[in-house]
Amino acid sequence: MSEMRDAMAPVIAVEGLSKTYTMGSEVVEALRGVSFVVAAGAYVALMGRSGSGKSTLMHLLGCLDTPTNGRYWLNGADVSGLSRRHRAEVRNRHIGFVFQSFNLLPRLSTLENVMLPLQYRRHLHDAQPSEKELAAMALRQVGLGDRIGHKPTELSGGQRQRVAIARALVTNPALILADEPTGNLDSRTGADILDLLAALHENGRTIILVTHDAQVAAHADRILHMKDGQIVDEVTG
Amino acid sequence: MTLLKTIRTALIGIGSNVLRAVLTTLGIVIGVASVISMLALGNGARAAVEANFRNLGSDMVQISVKEKIDQGEFVPVGEILSYEDGLRMPKEVALVNRVIMAISGEGKVRHGFNVLDMLVSGTTADGLDNLAAQGNVQPIGWPDGEPLSGAAFVENGRFFTPAEVFSNADVCVLGYKTAEQLFGGDNPLGEIVWVNRRKCLVIGVLTELEVTNPALRNQAQPNEAFYLPISTAIANLFDQEPSVQITARVSDESQMAEARQQIADYLRLRHDVGKDEIGEWDDDFALTTRQDILGAQQQAARTFSFLLAAMAAVSLVVGGIGIMNVMLVSVTERTREIGVRLAVGARPQDIVAQFLLEAVLISGFGGTLGIAVGVLSIPLVANFNQGVALLDLDSIPLSFGVALLTGLAFGLYPAIRAARLDPIEALRYE
Repeated sequence: MSEMRDAMAPVIAVEGLSKTYTMGSEVVEALRGVSFVVAAGAYVALMGRSGSGKSTLMHLLGCLDTPTNGRYWLNGADVSGLSRRHRAEVRNRHIGFVFQSFNLLPRLSTLENVMLPLQYRRHLHDAQPSEKELAAMALRQVGLGDRIGHKPTELSGGQRQRVAIARALVTNPALILADEPTGNLDSRTGADILDLLAALHENGRTIILVTHDAQVAAHADRILHMKDGQIVDEVTG
Repeated sequence: MTLLKTIRTALIGIGSNVLRAVLTTLGIVIGVASVISMLALGNGARAAVEANFRNLGSDMVQISVKEKIDQGEFVPVGEILSYEDGLRMPKEVALVNRVIMAISGEGKVRHGFNVLDMLVSGTTADGLDNLAAQGNVQPIGWPDGEPLSGAAFVENGRFFTPAEVFSNADVCVLGYKTAEQLFGGDNPLGEIVWVNRRKCLVIGVLTELEVTNPALRNQAQPNEAFYLPISTAIANLFDQEPSVQITARVSDESQMAEARQQIADYLRLRHDVGKDEIGEWDDDFALTTRQDILGAQQQAARTFSFLLAAMAAVSLVVGGIGIMNVMLVSVTERTREIGVRLAVGARPQDIVAQFLLEAVLISGFGGTLGIAVGVLSIPLVANFNQGVALLDLDSIPLSFGVALLTGLAFGLYPAIRAARLDPIEALRYE
């Protein structure tokens, strides 16, 4: 994939992406032919109510699932039809996830949680800093350089989400996918997290923010509104 | 992931519920421990059999009386195997050039006020040489590998002569401890000892002996011995004429089958043995050669191996199901963790490796514990087998390997189930 990567290619290009589920005898069209392009360094919000197809789209963009139809190029490489194993490798190298419920492993320290993606990294280069150094750097980036040895249970919600963001950053991915990152936080802490994402964007990160909240979405440069499995409106800020 | 990291991850997984992991291993612990202790029993029994028959050279036929249990006692099925049977054998059986005879019985031995109720042995003049040839005992401090003869066992005086055995002489030889118990520190040589109601001249005292064969260490008491000429013992210790143990030495080793036939013919004639309804000789004696013992031993070893394999299989299945159960629970409990790992890039084989290793670590822990329990229980199980149990060193890697394989086999299904989880579903799991 990376061998064929075009330096000028957009981070995301999707074309006619659709996803159909069969639930019992009923066929659900969760996504009906979505097409768009996200340039490197963009900050895009994916907005819509529940059932609009935004979660399905996020799963496809995150390579957690494969589309029924259509193509998806991530960093210029077609990732639409990859096997489970190859999708895992793509997630590991190119995508950083931030979840609503943080999803930290409670028995691991903050540092170990951030190191987790590195443990599954392949093609290591000797010249790179060690996993510990990389994780510590990522924690400093989110302002938690002094919480390295703490367990997630010893941290506040905002701090936990910062750890999760550090975990998403540590592999230096092409894309950060944040799924309702402020959903479990009070508005003040939520605002801090959004500020952090904005700062990462300033530093050139490509971010996709999935939310149902218009105020949250307003932080992005570009908002894609979804309804009934399609993009119905696009606002550029 | 590197192996080291996978091991660390698996250890953290086990650490989340140590008690459960320990309980899970119980089946494996019991299985491994019983394999080790059973193999020790078998090993000890084999060593004991070997020790007991070491004196049976390849040129020898052991003759014993056939007995049955009647009202709780052993009684001969036909005639006894008499001293006379043995005495005449070298003359009347062409291929037998010599016989060794022995007998033992309870007797009351007295000197002054010291009385011992003990087992008295009657032997031929070569009794001590036969004891030396068995190689199960030696004088204390005897150098390793130094050839041993009966003469080395005598500290003071001498053993019987063939003439004394033939003439029913009232002479005796005392074991080291027996001499101490009867005479204190005094010199017993030339003194008179009463055996039941008969006087007996002490002509020899044995040196202090030690048992060298570990299989016999708890049974044999070589220093609590009292020897009489076999003819004297028969006359003095028994109300009725007893059966004796006879070992015949064959002059030509290449004709063992023929010698066996000659001995059988000789005894059938003397004991007036007939044939039963299906035309088989209804013998009242049994003949045993080294070949017979080896065959029986191999048969016993086969039976024992089969039993052991069955036991190992049962413990393997029980222990394995325990591990599978706990791993399935663990996979369910940690669905969300698996989802997170998959999301950050764990490949299916990484998840398989993590859970498989966890199962193998648990079973390996159980195997280690089982080996410790098994080795420590050997003295205990030995009590059920007359103190005979010897650790079989091969059983340690064998049973540990079986334990690891169990973890691998029964951990595979839960591990594959974990790896097949859909990351989206797993991340939503509450």
